[in-house]
Amino acid sequence: MGLLYDLSTKYKTLSIVGMAKNAGKTTAMNFLIEEAMDEGIRLGITSIGRDGESQDLVTGTEKPKIYLDQDTIVTVPTQLYELADAGLEILKKTRYSTPMGDLLICRVADSGYVQIAGPPAAMDTKRVCEEMMQYGCELILIDGAIDRKSIASPETSDAIILSTGAVLSRSMRKVVDETAHIVNLYSIPEMEEGEARTLIEENNFDDKIMLISRDGKVNKLDLATGLGSSRFIDDEIDDDTEYVYIPGAFTNSVIADINLKKLKRVKFILKNPTKIFLSAMDWGLWRKKGFRVNVLKNIEIAAITVNPWAPSGYTFDSDALVAAMQEALPELPIIDVRV
Amino acid sequence: MRMGSNRRLANVKTRRETGLDYIMQSIDLNTPFGKKLLKETKPFYPGEEEELKAELDKVEAMTIFVKENSRLVEEIQQIFMEIKDVSYSIERSASQTLTVVEIYEIKSLLLSMRKLVHLGRQGGQMCIPEEYIPADTTELLDILDPRRDRINTFYIYDEFSETLRNLRGQKREFEIAIRKEQKVKRDEIKKEHGIMLTPKFDIVVAKNKPDFEKVKAIEDLEMVDQDYMTATFQLKANEAIYELMRQMDDLHAKLEEEEEAIRKVLSEDISRYADVLLDNCERMGALDVALGKALYAVHHDCTKPEIADEHVIEIEDGRNLQVEDILRSKGKPYCPVSISLADGVTCITGANMGGKTISLKLSGQVAILTQYGFFVPARKARVGLSNYMQILVGDSQSLERGLSTFGSEMEELKEILDHSVERTLLLIDEIASGTNPVEGLALTKALVEYLMEKPYITLMTTHFETVTETEGVINMQVRGLADVNFTLLNREIQYARRAERINIISKYMDYRLYRVEKQGEVPKDALNIAKMLGISSEIIERAKKYIK
Repeated sequence: MGLLYDLSTKYKTLSIVGMAKNAGKTTAMNFLIEEAMDEGIRLGITSIGRDGESQDLVTGTEKPKIYLDQDTIVTVPTQLYELADAGLEILKKTRYSTPMGDLLICRVADSGYVQIAGPPAAMDTKRVCEEMMQYGCELILIDGAIDRKSIASPETSDAIILSTGAVLSRSMRKVVDETAHIVNLYSIPEMEEGEARTLIEENNFDDKIMLISRDGKVNKLDLATGLGSSRFIDDEIDDDTEYVYIPGAFTNSVIADINLKKLKRVKFILKNPTKIFLSAMDWGLWRKKGFRVNVLKNIEIAAITVNPWAPSGYTFDSDALVAAMQEALPELPIIDVRV
Repeated sequence: MRMGSNRRLANVKTRRETGLDYIMQSIDLNTPFGKKLLKETKPFYPGEEEELKAELDKVEAMTIFVKENSRLVEEIQQIFMEIKDVSYSIERSASQTLTVVEIYEIKSLLLSMRKLVHLGRQGGQMCIPEEYIPADTTELLDILDPRRDRINTFYIYDEFSETLRNLRGQKREFEIAIRKEQKVKRDEIKKEHGIMLTPKFDIVVAKNKPDFEKVKAIEDLEMVDQDYMTATFQLKANEAIYELMRQMDDLHAKLEEEEEAIRKVLSEDISRYADVLLDNCERMGALDVALGKALYAVHHDCTKPEIADEHVIEIEDGRNLQVEDILRSKGKPYCPVSISLADGVTCITGANMGGKTISLKLSGQVAILTQYGFFVPARKARVGLSNYMQILVGDSQSLERGLSTFGSEMEELKEILDHSVERTLLLIDEIASGTNPVEGLALTKALVEYLMEKPYITLMTTHFETVTETEGVINMQVRGLADVNFTLLNREIQYARRAERINIISKYMDYRLYRVEKQGEVPKDALNIAKMLGISSEIIERAKKYIK
């Protein structure tokens, strides 16, 4: 069985997320849609915000419309409905409105090209997906955030497909390293169920840094921001502290001034991996120093797509790129979307 | 007095201050038609008593209906929530071709109407009144739903025309033919050269691979794109494919034409039913408003006012709904107030914080709600209709306009007196309190004397107690703190935090109004309250000296 079939047995919704602008997100989307057509899987297609314009708004590069097969379920705003080349049966007018009119859920009655768009708020995407599921799709592909920094929340979809490519760097080594770093971050283990996790979840309504001690005491730090907070955290860590929960952005300044002995003793808990803003090198250094971390929710990566071509004109050897990527990430399917 | 459609019972400020706007906004409406209808509601005027009684009877019937059919009401509201305003599209259908989305929305509306008709016909002991049930539009629905599956979806279905079906059939055949032709080529290439093309019939090859020269040499492939590393090859179209593609283009044009023609016919069909559709929208709007009004009355414990021929306002245990909602949200009870007004001047006097202004607004609220055909927040009410109503009460807006309190008051007073006609209701809140007491009192007294002679109901709150001495003026007094055990109150105040004190005073306050027959018994609660709120006794004692 094909790749899409495998994915559809594991996940209901997949976001396609680019490592950077022009990492080949739309190309990946088209590739997956074609695969689904070949494998006969009924797809749902939506997007975070508007997408599928014929021109990429940021860089002006060409961005193809998406060709959809019959019976695909797709979200289209009213004003783009009439522009669609495909025949679309309107199934429902949703209550989500976009700058291009109210969002419609349609069934492709006659295959053709469609410019897709989704609800502008990422948190509505989940609800739209649930509505689409009712019309019988087996797998929903969400055209996700343009780069990984803008992933709103890992809860939007069951897993992501990470699009990476030559656009990241002229050095292939660097492309592979950065991608592997992100994959490593995203798959940081989730904090195990238990008393401490419950304590964090119950006290986490106001997004404050919390220290949890072995005997279940919660110490909330009243800081306006986590940035530059390492001195205060250092002050508060005592012999009994077991976990340090950081709800916001996790940067160097959050741990820089923590005494190394204390650092080794505690475990840091983050909301999710998108909160981490550390370079691959810094990350490695801290890990060597004994820094331990868990997240409340990690992000599952279903596959990696690579694009050996960069819009600024250079190209990598496709086979070499796939091979290097596969070596770095042996667990994941690596797909070259251009071949 | 302005008559005809321009006639105005009360100005914007009066509608706001009496709480009419607030109550209208609180009514839960679910359709755009209902919202429009409620906004356009016109009051009933003297001479229209019978029409008003009929309207109130309808509201009464509806309150019974909603009480006994809560399930059905819920189902109706469910249908209403899905309704969108498509009246513009319906009107547009007369002269223009509607878009697919517009036709879809009209089909959705037809399905909602159909559900309502079904609910209406379900027939228990209590049915939806006939006047609210939409007329049958199955014929039009059948046109827009050629498959008769009654599902809320729409597409230019093949069933709309034989031509469309044939064209689409041909298009699919061509697509398959083209793909078939391409697949044959792909298989040939695979067999001959061992090169597998993608499902899009292209291939990307790196130039440094030995494959590159091989692929380049294949006759049926052409290079469509390349950079220094890779090249993209695509299957060349042969004559047969070109011919099919040319025919496809023709087909596309024909298809577009046919779909447009179908939309035109459907638009004309819709246009033929435009009157019925628009009338149905109005009916649904009317039902929405009727349900909303009835539910509001039930939830807020409102009753049907009795309509009197003479100009009176009699309220038994009335509650100002706006204030009651605030108190309710704080978990506090509302102390109902009774008042009885007729032509002439009635003054409300009494303690500060005694709810004088709220009782003044309550009188206006009951009167204006009645005239707009709503139930009123009282145990019992009897209302004679007015031609004109106005409230004069200080607000922040006049200050924003840069007028002093007194200046804006006088400006408004002039407007009121100019507009007043027979059967007018005037609600005046502490007029002339912002100027020197000597002139203020003189002005108020003169105003009272002037108004006594007019066929108006005037209700006035004032601290100028001698005003009530004017012959014929009825004096209603807030009971206030008169019956309060001050030892108890003081003890509680003593230990309370500053913010709590006002609440404690409100708790002890008796807001009810009593008619005062004898003069000179106005309670002096101002100093008591000032003291309780923490003004130093040094000042209070000095003040007492001056009263003696």
